[in-house]
Amino acid sequence: MPDIRNVIAARAAQELKDGQIVNLGIGVSSLIANHLPAGVDVVIHSENGAIGVGPAPEAYCDDPDRGNASGKPITMTAGASFFDSAASFGMIRGGHLDMTFLGTFQVDGEGNIASYAIPGKAVAGMGGAMDLLAGAKIVNVITEHCSKDGKSKLVKKCTFPLTGAGEADVIITERAVFRRYPDKGFVLEEVARGHTPEDIAACTEMDYVVSDTVKLDAYGPGPED
Amino acid sequence: MLRNKVVSLKEAVSHVESGMTIAVGGFLALGDPLTLLHGLQDSGVKDLTIISSTAGYGDRGIVELVKAGQVRKIVTTHIGTTPDVVKAYHAGEIELRLVPQGTLAEQLRAGGAGLGGFLTPTGLGTVAAEGKQHVELNGKTYLLEEAIRADVALVRAHDGDTWGNLRYRGTAMNFNPLCAACAGYTIAEVEYLYSPGEIAPETVYTQGLFVHAVVRADLLYRGSSLDICSPSAT
Repeated sequence: MPDIRNVIAARAAQELKDGQIVNLGIGVSSLIANHLPAGVDVVIHSENGAIGVGPAPEAYCDDPDRGNASGKPITMTAGASFFDSAASFGMIRGGHLDMTFLGTFQVDGEGNIASYAIPGKAVAGMGGAMDLLAGAKIVNVITEHCSKDGKSKLVKKCTFPLTGAGEADVIITERAVFRRYPDKGFVLEEVARGHTPEDIAACTEMDYVVSDTVKLDAYGPGPED
Repeated sequence: MLRNKVVSLKEAVSHVESGMTIAVGGFLALGDPLTLLHGLQDSGVKDLTIISSTAGYGDRGIVELVKAGQVRKIVTTHIGTTPDVVKAYHAGEIELRLVPQGTLAEQLRAGGAGLGGFLTPTGLGTVAAEGKQHVELNGKTYLLEEAIRADVALVRAHDGDTWGNLRYRGTAMNFNPLCAACAGYTIAEVEYLYSPGEIAPETVYTQGLFVHAVVRADLLYRGSSLDICSPSAT
């Protein structure tokens, strides 16, 4: 059975359209490139100053001057280029990125995202996440539905410091997909195999409505997996 | 015209005094001026305010100055890859100001370009907006962010000439050109050094006018994905 991270990454990859310019964050986001649908080729931007990022290099074949936003070695595809950080964030804030994907600690029904700090526990810093949320045309939040202690990460109202206010457009978990519309807020559009709309309601604190055309068994591992 | 700014490491870092504000290029130790940071360690200056995108990676980069007790404050975007810096912050040994990465990059760029500041949508509705002036312009809200200038900048380039024309390689460029332009005194360490005229003019990224001293980089000590990550990362 595929692990949860890859279930989320595989569903997230379905959001991509051929030719889009996308920023893939760290963690689960970095797995998305492994799940690109057939015929979909995207250009990957890395905020530390590269566009046209390819897969990780083979062992011992990395170039010491080529790393991604997590500091991990990368390869570059044909047509790639490098630039300084001011140019990179100009691309981001300037609306030149079609999509970004990021994980989070909390997301709420108003599209608020709290992904960079847990008061008293974690002070890593926001890195480039605030700029990415403010600048990317579509923000996909990809996260496990519940935290390790079983609490919903889709909360009524974010209590941790915000990375972005009202920036979440799509939420993809291993159990469900929600999309935000200006008039309705988040709408439950897909439920993964092995779950029901009732299950989802029980593990989701965030306010949302259920689509009239909600897709059941929409993705995720089937009985044969 | 003096076209030779090449000096010894010791002479270059003698321009850094205790209490100064230092802009440091690099990102997660990739492109960090590790040779110059070691020079600073040896010089023993203290109470530094460091402006840098990150605090390094593992035990490399600015984290080394923090561990040596030479840093009073860090203005940065991320310290998560340097546990010793997180520890120093929790122990009250350093002050920390976290800034969104695009904002920090633009603050340095603006500082080098003679601008007082700029308007950005980044951070609206978050702690990054607290205490900042909000400006309405053409129906949109922005934060007013001030430019940053430093007393000294430390940068690393792939190669350069003796006048200080610099070129970068791969993602080791990152904040280096921005830091190079924003300081009263800029020191560049270069991995390969040429005479003026040996580098094609159209390939120069940081012009020599920004650079005041050039030092040969220690080629063996670099913060790179190569020696940090291989082979387990693949």
